[in-house]
Amino acid sequence: MVLDMLMQGFATCFTLENLSFIFLGVLIGQIVGALPGVGPAAGMALLLPLTFGLEPVTAIMMLAGIMYGGQYGGTLTSVLINVPGEASSVMTAIDGHQMARAGRAGAALSIAAIGSFLAGISACLAVAFVTPLLSGFALRFNAPEYFLLGVLGLVAAASLGSSPIRALIAAVLGLMIGLVGTDPLTGAPRLNFDMPALYEGIDFIPVAIGVFGIAEVLSSLERSDEVAPIRTRLRDMWLTSEEWAQSRLAIARGGLIGLFVGIMPGAGASVASLLAYLNERKFSRHPERFGKGAIDGVAAAEAANNSAAHGALIPMLALGIPGSGSTAVLLAALILHGIQPGPRLMTTEATLVWGLIASMFVGNVFLLIINLPLAPAFAALLRVRYVYLAPGILVLSLVGAYAATLDMGTVWMCLFFGVLGWLMIRFEIPRPPLVLALVLAQLVEMSVRQTLLLSFGSLDIFIQRPISLALLLLIGAMIAMTIVNTIRRRRVAP
Amino acid sequence: MRMINAVPAVFMIGLSAMILLGTSDLPYWVETTPGARFFPVWLAGIGLFLSALFLVQVVRGTDPVVLEAPERASVVRVLLTVVGLVCLAIIVPHVGMVFGSAVFMSYLLLFVLRQRFLPSLLTVVVVAVGIELIFVRWLGVSLPGFALTL
Repeated sequence: MVLDMLMQGFATCFTLENLSFIFLGVLIGQIVGALPGVGPAAGMALLLPLTFGLEPVTAIMMLAGIMYGGQYGGTLTSVLINVPGEASSVMTAIDGHQMARAGRAGAALSIAAIGSFLAGISACLAVAFVTPLLSGFALRFNAPEYFLLGVLGLVAAASLGSSPIRALIAAVLGLMIGLVGTDPLTGAPRLNFDMPALYEGIDFIPVAIGVFGIAEVLSSLERSDEVAPIRTRLRDMWLTSEEWAQSRLAIARGGLIGLFVGIMPGAGASVASLLAYLNERKFSRHPERFGKGAIDGVAAAEAANNSAAHGALIPMLALGIPGSGSTAVLLAALILHGIQPGPRLMTTEATLVWGLIASMFVGNVFLLIINLPLAPAFAALLRVRYVYLAPGILVLSLVGAYAATLDMGTVWMCLFFGVLGWLMIRFEIPRPPLVLALVLAQLVEMSVRQTLLLSFGSLDIFIQRPISLALLLLIGAMIAMTIVNTIRRRRVAP
Repeated sequence: MRMINAVPAVFMIGLSAMILLGTSDLPYWVETTPGARFFPVWLAGIGLFLSALFLVQVVRGTDPVVLEAPERASVVRVLLTVVGLVCLAIIVPHVGMVFGSAVFMSYLLLFVLRQRFLPSLLTVVVVAVGIELIFVRWLGVSLPGFALTL
């Protein structure tokens, strides 16, 4: 059954138009991943308005390509200039750059590409097999479960990072932005302050472009230092048999950790690569090599971040709950293309879902080709100075926002959220929970109100239904773990 | 830096208060159904609670985040960029998106970032032509054009 659907997905995928857009997506992902200052979420948000003329399946394939392509691209800057293009490539920089300084930049890039590819393909298989199971299970969900699932996504996003309160504040801010416009159940005007631009609420596109795209460029403009990249050549890309032997199990372990972390809402590729790297170091026979150019450290971190990027699609496709900033943009893209996300997506939009899953296999093959023989060419891209790219990114952000609605009000909103996003960076308030919450705002509000309508205002409904009780316990456990971790960290800190 | 750390909490308190006031004319509960004010009230309450926790952390010095003081030159660069973006949004309806973008990029590269003239000019031309080709010619987006009615 799954294999039949997957074959149909490949049939959807193998048209000239779809293959071209998958290639374009992974190529853009590779580039935005390589450029410090523009992550996959920002790249996806910037290009979202351009996809409105495309078929939804083509648009989603391309946007997903940017998401996982960004994981490959982030490696280049980590290894060659010790500046991670993406937060998920921070762990790669530790050993990857040390390898580059020792003249093994090619090997570091090779193992990163191979590790990402193998873990990516395995994660695609997991997406193909796990998503239908989870989505079938989720068909039993009703309003109380949806409310708790939405809360779980927000709490999970907030429980990670150095300051849970900061992350929760970002999530609440995202939900508050979602209140503006009209009440989703009664249609009554709410918090629009008699401003016509706010009558229909605050659109997702200006928020995502502002908070991810413009804010990131403004933040990058604060730093004026630029580092020359270490050069690499095609013939340096070959791995020795010893290097491969050291890396192959690290790839398998990193891939598994990445998949598991990616499936959990809120975790994401950065946490996955961190856990995979720490796991490799802990169980290595020679932990002293880590931090000095351990190839297995690079392999594990890269396998984990790519696997997590793919794994995050499982809750998004099966439940309609995004697990990361990038999947939040992807979910918004589905909605903007007129597709209703949720457990029924697998049946009502089977062509799209299986086409997307098949496209990820194809996209990973494209990325392997781009990253092995063409890595030196992409490395040359890093010689273009960022100051010449920044104005172009800013202008394209605003033009993209205008193109989405043909309204200058969207451009003003984009600027507002760009400045807000920059302030969030300055005050170390994480931005993904805000975007995640904005996407989930309507689901959370509608489902809690529907739940209380069903139960005549009684909260007992949450403990009377087995699945909602399980979700409630999971949320409780997550909050308890966060509190315990915070107290522990405080005791350890001097 | 400690008081600066409290800015997000103060902002959230203000926002929560604004939501409570802004929805005061909406019903909280209608017969057996939560009304349009139900969710905003709870959300504002959570916002106030989190802000209070945040403020306690700041006052007790247990906030795990240590904010770095920004360099003056960096902040000036960002502020000048934001001013440029605001001016761009103001002039676009009058001079058009492509021309306005070209003016903004020239301002940013030559005045704010102090880059060399020729590479800056090349960047401006490439981006402006790119916008015209992709958005106007390829996608058929009707971008604001010249309308000299200042």
